[in-house]
Amino acid sequence: MLRVFLTAAVAVMVAATAWVFWDRARGSTATPIAGFSAPFVFGRFAVPPDNPLTEEAFALGRHLFYDPILSGNNQVSCATCHMQALAFTDGLAKSPALSGGELEFSSMSLINLLWGQERFFWDGRATSLEAQALMPIQHPDEMDQDLDALITELQASRDYRRMFRKAYGEVSAENVARALSTFMRMLISTDSKYDRFLRGEVRLTAQEEHGRKLFMAHPDTKVSLRGGNCIDCHSQFLTSGFRDALDGFSNNGLDSDDDLPDGLMAVTGNPAHKGFFKVPTLRNIAVTAPYMHDGRFETLEEVMDHYNDGIVVSDTLSPLILEADNAPEAGQNTVGLRMTPGEVQSIIAFLNTLTDEGFLTNTQFSNPFEGDG
Amino acid sequence: MRIWMTGLAILLFVGGALFFALGPQRTTSITLTFHAKMGDDPLIFDEFVYDNPGGSGTFRVRDFRFYLSNLTLSQDGALFAEPDSYHLLRFDNPETIHSIRLNDIPLRSIEHVRFMIGVDPEANGSIQVRGDLDPNSQMAWNWEVGYKFVVMEGTLRIGEEVSPLVYHVGFSENAREVDIQLPPDIGSDGNADLHVNVDLAKLFGGPSQIDLQKLSSVKFNREDAAMLADNYATMMTPMFR
Repeated sequence: MLRVFLTAAVAVMVAATAWVFWDRARGSTATPIAGFSAPFVFGRFAVPPDNPLTEEAFALGRHLFYDPILSGNNQVSCATCHMQALAFTDGLAKSPALSGGELEFSSMSLINLLWGQERFFWDGRATSLEAQALMPIQHPDEMDQDLDALITELQASRDYRRMFRKAYGEVSAENVARALSTFMRMLISTDSKYDRFLRGEVRLTAQEEHGRKLFMAHPDTKVSLRGGNCIDCHSQFLTSGFRDALDGFSNNGLDSDDDLPDGLMAVTGNPAHKGFFKVPTLRNIAVTAPYMHDGRFETLEEVMDHYNDGIVVSDTLSPLILEADNAPEAGQNTVGLRMTPGEVQSIIAFLNTLTDEGFLTNTQFSNPFEGDG
Repeated sequence: MRIWMTGLAILLFVGGALFFALGPQRTTSITLTFHAKMGDDPLIFDEFVYDNPGGSGTFRVRDFRFYLSNLTLSQDGALFAEPDSYHLLRFDNPETIHSIRLNDIPLRSIEHVRFMIGVDPEANGSIQVRGDLDPNSQMAWNWEVGYKFVVMEGTLRIGEEVSPLVYHVGFSENAREVDIQLPPDIGSDGNADLHVNVDLAKLFGGPSQIDLQKLSSVKFNREDAAMLADNYATMMTPMFR
């Protein structure tokens, strides 16, 4: 009897050891993310063929996103400037820089990145999420991390070795970028009141519906059509900038030629792109204050005031903004939409229907090192 | 018996091969290349180099693009219609050209190339993504209005004063059909290469001459839009060499 038991025990141990070795040797065992869907009105999207969406990559990316190990001083994580409750912004005009002072641009929200522009950062300097992901890590004023040092640190962690192995095979900077990209691609918001309205599940209030109509219209006094002109830059369903080529970048009249920043021109070298910045998504816009690439506006009211009568003319200002005016008579010294206060409030009411509480509190997107993760 | 069968098989094989090798080709490929022009010269973006055709001042072009849809190729009674045929033609490249290539069309040659400037009513009233139609793109007005068919944006400068130029022409009634008849020597080798000039000047100087100062924008006014549509209906000219 004892002999039988011992034999069985040895057999189990051999099998377990073999399984452990086999599991380590076989490399990635990633499972494609199943049951992932998005409204068809969001349109087409593309995932890089060399970085398919998998559960293991998502789990790894989520850990990396929230782990300060990614920074040189081990104190700054991606989530430091991208907080879920604020739609992955940080509530600051500009985040503090490591060397003192502040960063050049405001922290961007991370929502529905599978759709809309395929360039990232306010000036579009990254042409893929994978390229984007490694830039803040290495930036001396953001996370100031040397990639080789990071890989050494990650390799020293048993948990990370295991997660990388399951997701990709090996611990590498490329795979850090891939995992972070997968996590960001899955930050999908599809359950705002506007989404439920589009699905026919709820009705908008009269004020929200008025705001929606204004949002979707370029004003034309010749046919008495009033409009907020938002749709000329923010697509009707995604509310982000446009996907084609550089269509998702614009000069929205913030500065005069004398102090117009380079923006997209810094990347393309084309003077026609001076002062162009990425048109952000308006999903969850109510929680991402302050606004604009430099966070100059504290509230949505200030943003609307800008578009209503605060446009600053410059050479590359969008002609669609310069031309859009709801008042038939010529303006006196101001450029803007010249809507009524009621119309402005309606548009703000519509913008508030873009908030998706489920997205802001989804536990799949939260810090895995806290709570039940 | 077996020898006969083998002999017959070889005969059929050789005969068939000869038939396909020596017979007329069964398919044709075509490349349509559209060249954006202002008058006779390649279109120049972002520079004040053009005179207001109907008035004073000079203007620059920031954007010019349009939808070409429902492309069909025909020969005698045979017709090939490209599926999901919605192309957004944009010219923001160094050559200011846009090419469409169709491979292995089941026609022996091509006599007519037909298409629409604009979008057919069915697709114009839909929010389905197909071809280059995308309801989240710059060309979409909103789902209640449909697509812009032809877009030209720019700036007019008169003296020191600058003013915006915005021409967005849509509405299903403003789609215009274009029919190009190919000379018989084009594509006789099974590979047709068609070049078409797209003259933006015609948008303001077709049947109606436009003063850009007086009519600096066209969006939702039906009469203005129809007038520009009649103008852009004349902007395509095939180049045969």
